[in-house]
Amino acid sequence: MAEITIGKEDFLKFREFFYRKTGIQFDDAKRYFVDRRLAERIEATDSRSFRNYFMLLRFEASGEELQTLTNLMTVNETYFFREEYQFKCLVNSILPEITTQKKDSRPIRIWSMPSSSGEEPYSIAMYLLEYWPGIEKWDVEIISSDIDTKILGQARRGLYSPRSVQHLPKNLLAKYFKAAGDGFQVSEELREAVEFTRVNLMNQADVRAYREFDVIFCRNLLIYFDDLSRRQAADTFYDALHPGGFLCLGHSESMSRISSLYKARKFADSVVYQKPKEAR
Amino acid sequence: MPIVKKAPAASRDQDERELQRDCASLVLQLADGDPTTRRWAAKDLVGCPDVSAALIGRLRQERDPSVREIILTALTQRADAQAVAALVECLRSEDVSLRNEAIEAMKTLPDEVAPIMGGLLGDADPDVRIFAVNVLESLRHELVEQWLKEVIERDPHVNVCATAVDLLGEVGTSYSREALEKLKERFPDEPYIRFAADIALKRICSN
Repeated sequence: MAEITIGKEDFLKFREFFYRKTGIQFDDAKRYFVDRRLAERIEATDSRSFRNYFMLLRFEASGEELQTLTNLMTVNETYFFREEYQFKCLVNSILPEITTQKKDSRPIRIWSMPSSSGEEPYSIAMYLLEYWPGIEKWDVEIISSDIDTKILGQARRGLYSPRSVQHLPKNLLAKYFKAAGDGFQVSEELREAVEFTRVNLMNQADVRAYREFDVIFCRNLLIYFDDLSRRQAADTFYDALHPGGFLCLGHSESMSRISSLYKARKFADSVVYQKPKEAR
Repeated sequence: MPIVKKAPAASRDQDERELQRDCASLVLQLADGDPTTRRWAAKDLVGCPDVSAALIGRLRQERDPSVREIILTALTQRADAQAVAALVECLRSEDVSLRNEAIEAMKTLPDEVAPIMGGLLGDADPDVRIFAVNVLESLRHELVEQWLKEVIERDPHVNVCATAVDLLGEVGTSYSREALEKLKERFPDEPYIRFAADIALKRICSN
C-alpha cells in the first residue's frame, strides 16, 4: 500500500474539526503525532486518502470512527496526582471558598467519577490530608463511582504498579503505601476513606441519590460521550451539586461547549465550573 | 481521620421525593412555582407518551435556564415531529441562548432534521437561514455538502453565503468547486467572501 501523506491543509482542516468536536487542540508541534494516527486510521478503515477518511469522520451516522480516533488521540492513562494543578486548585481556592460560605457544619462532599482503578479519589484524599489545613476542622466525604464493577473491585483493593505511583513525592509513597508484590498497595486507612459505588451516569435511577455535593471531579470522561450524552451528564452534575458547588473537568474539556448553566471560574491553578450560587 | 465514609444511598433514600411521578402529575408539575420541581418533572417526562406538546408549552414560557435546558434535552431525546417543530420554532426566538440551545439540539438529530432542512434553508428570514447553516456545522448527514452548495449558488444574502462558505472550507470537495468560483463573482465587492471561498478552494485542491 502506498504511503499515506497528510498535507498541511488537511492537517489544518482536521485540527479545526477535531477541536470543535472534542475541545482537544493540537498545535503545530503535534503535527507528527496527529499525522501518524490519522494515517493509521486511514489504513485501518481502508479509506485510501485523507479526504475519504475525513468524510467518514464527519458524516458517519454512528460517530464510531470519531470515537475510535478520539481514543487514539488521547492518552488514556491514569496515575496518582495526574493533572495535579486541579488538586492544588481544590485545596488553595475551591475548598477555602466553600468553607467560607458554608452555613452548616455538615461534611464537605466530593464525588470523583469515573473512579477507574482509584488513583484519582485516593489522590484527592492524600491531597486533603497533606495540603489542606481545613481538614483539621471539616469532615469530608469522598465518593467515587464507575460503571465498571471489575474496575471498582480493583480500586477497592488499591494495588498499583510502580508506574502508577511514579509522580508521588517519596514521603507520601512511604506514608500511604506498602510494598505488595512488584508494586504497592494503598494503606488501609486511605482505602477506608473512599466509598466506591457503581453508577451509570446515563441512568437517572442510578444517579438520583447522588445529591448535595460540593465538588465533582469528572475528568477525561465527557470527551468519550456523544453530544446528547454530554448534555445529560451536565444536567446530572447540576442536580448533584449544591448551589455554588464546583465541577472540575479534564484539561481538554470545556463545559461552556456543553451547557450554559455553569459559570467558568478562573483560579490561579485551574479553570473550573461552578453551579450558580443563586440556583436551586 | 476526618475523611468519613458515607455511601449516597445511606445518606438519602433512593427516591424520597414526595410528589407523584405518574405522567399526568408530572405534566401538572411543569407549571409548579418551584424551578426544581419543574426541572425534575421535565426530566422524568422523557419516558411518558404524548407529552411533547406539554413540554413545548412549558418551554415557550419558561424563564429559568436550568429548566429550559432540561426541556430541550428531553425534546431531543424524544425527537418526534412535534419536538423537532418546537426546536425549529426556537430558531425564531429573540432569546439568544434559547436559539443557541435549539441549534445545538438540532445538530444531534440528523435523521429528524434532514426532511425539514430544505424548508429552513429557504426560509424568508435570513437569520433563520443562517441558523440552519449553523445546524449543518455538526450534522452527520450525507447531504450536508449538497445543501451548502445550494446555499452559495442561490441565497441572495451575503451573510448566509458567508456562513455556508466557511463550512465548505471544512466539508467541501471538488463537487463544490465551481459553485465556490461563481460565488466570488456573485459578490465581487465582498472581500470576506473572496477570502473564505479561496481558503475552501485551496483545501479542496490540496486533496
